[in-house]
Amino acid sequence: MASENILVIGGGPTGMEAARGIASIGYKVTIVEKRDRLGGTPDASQYAALTPDMRSAEEAIGEMVDAITNSPNVTLMFNTEVIGSSGSVGNFKVKANQGGKEVTIDAGSVIICTGFTHFDPGRETQKYGYYEHDDVITLVDAEKMFKSGNFVRPSNGEKPKSVCFIQCVGSRDRQIGNEYCSKVCCGISSKQAIEVRQHVPDCKVFIFYIDMRMYGYWENEIYWPAQEKYKVNYVKGIATEIVKKGDRLLVKGEDTTMRRPLEIPMDIVILAVGMEPSEGTKKVADIFGVKKNKFGFIETIGGALNTVSTDVPGVFAAGAATGPADLEDCVSSAGAAAMKAIASLRTVAIPA
Amino acid sequence: MALNPMALDLSGKKYANVAYEEKERLFDEVKADDRWHHVLYGCYECGICVAACPSARFYDFSPRVIAQAAAREDVDLMYTLMNDSVWDCSQCFSCDRCPRQNSPGQIITIMREVAVKNGLKTAKEALEGYGRIIYKIMSTGSQVSPDMLQPNAFPDWGGHVKEISDNLDVWRKALPPETLHTTETGWKITDKTIVELYLIWHMTGVMKLIEGVDEGLFMILVDVMEERLEEAGYDDISFD
Repeated sequence: MASENILVIGGGPTGMEAARGIASIGYKVTIVEKRDRLGGTPDASQYAALTPDMRSAEEAIGEMVDAITNSPNVTLMFNTEVIGSSGSVGNFKVKANQGGKEVTIDAGSVIICTGFTHFDPGRETQKYGYYEHDDVITLVDAEKMFKSGNFVRPSNGEKPKSVCFIQCVGSRDRQIGNEYCSKVCCGISSKQAIEVRQHVPDCKVFIFYIDMRMYGYWENEIYWPAQEKYKVNYVKGIATEIVKKGDRLLVKGEDTTMRRPLEIPMDIVILAVGMEPSEGTKKVADIFGVKKNKFGFIETIGGALNTVSTDVPGVFAAGAATGPADLEDCVSSAGAAAMKAIASLRTVAIPA
Repeated sequence: MALNPMALDLSGKKYANVAYEEKERLFDEVKADDRWHHVLYGCYECGICVAACPSARFYDFSPRVIAQAAAREDVDLMYTLMNDSVWDCSQCFSCDRCPRQNSPGQIITIMREVAVKNGLKTAKEALEGYGRIIYKIMSTGSQVSPDMLQPNAFPDWGGHVKEISDNLDVWRKALPPETLHTTETGWKITDKTIVELYLIWHMTGVMKLIEGVDEGLFMILVDVMEERLEEAGYDDISFD
């Protein structure tokens, strides 16, 4: 017996948008979420402002949560993790662990929206010393500080006089194994650089980069204002190490376009950590037998023309489960996945 | 870099003996110029300006470095450039093709003006060779004049140069416009025009600028100008 229910795994922005789309067309959808609430990484990591428009993340994510919370077509299952699956398109029997209790969910098709995890800077091959120096933090840590409205040096609670961002930490690095660009970090660093200048106007802000990658409107909406209005100093060259000097951090690198070595004392160093597949993404991919790429993200099979189909019929993936993605990518692919998930289910449901 | 003695020192440390506050004061003066926000936005460091720059073919000169240092607000390097680099620019504005709409050439214009106004030693040295040209322009109101056409100055122009220069007055009178019947100036400059020019240079502070860079030239010009202005009835004008 074919199921008309669609299972969405993951209650972040991608999962919420996929569910909203499915429910609005009139189909039933079940969201399985391992945390006790919706919102995903922006909520769990306490993002402050979205890139590029600086909209409050809490407000934007709240809007997405509200859109599905009381929908009669949406079933929410919190504290729940998928542990097994059998059947095929039109008739999946998905086993899940709901707070210690095993349950089975019937689903005609499945959308995997299990997202990414922030790169752990303990694995970087340079010598940035994230776990060694209090004032070496990540974009994620900085985001929390902006949200609390108190951007200070973690070591002593003082306002910083100079702050730098180091780009591509954990991305575009063969030694680490992440050859891809994480897509969003340049924009987020530039956005945060503006926020630093807004919080501490006399603080000098540097961004050390390999290439600045802010495609489309991120260019004129973030990059240019950061440089032109907020006087953020963009230096092409990646720091090779950070050493403690007095109570400050000495960042060593090369100012490549100026052909000179560079050693600048900093009060806070922010590592622009990239994206890696979340544990959930890798686990769920294996449960459904879906092919992963060599980085562990779910591989979609349609190239540029189909960004959500996997090699298993009836199983789709969207958002950062398929690779680095910004919020726009997540929401767009969620819509595409919702449409394809419904289409696959209808194809099966029509009697031969 | 060290191998080339003519190389531009980008370390920012070359003028370590000059106080940072002084460098900052000069940069602030540059930034305070009304044109500043129309000539500098942000720099991609892409080098399109250098690729188009004729001076960059001949000197270790880079309009990119100028825009870059300015965009980064690198006070030490801006001081080095104001001394060692801005006079290598030919002010052709070929660099005005920047995707960010910067104009390194116009940034340099402003930097040069600040260097001159503040009487920087390097500005004086750079302008030394131009004394004669400035004298000619400012005393007569035109620069190139027919009497500069001397056979020994232009041997490559051929034998007829001598013939023309011997009878320059006649040749000039053969030209239809009466205003070109001159030999000591490019065209006939009326008394009214030259007096107005002197007054403009006086009132706009150009004479003060020249006094700051080349006192000898300033004194000669003042002699010429004061006499002519007095004749025209402006006997209360003082250049002091």
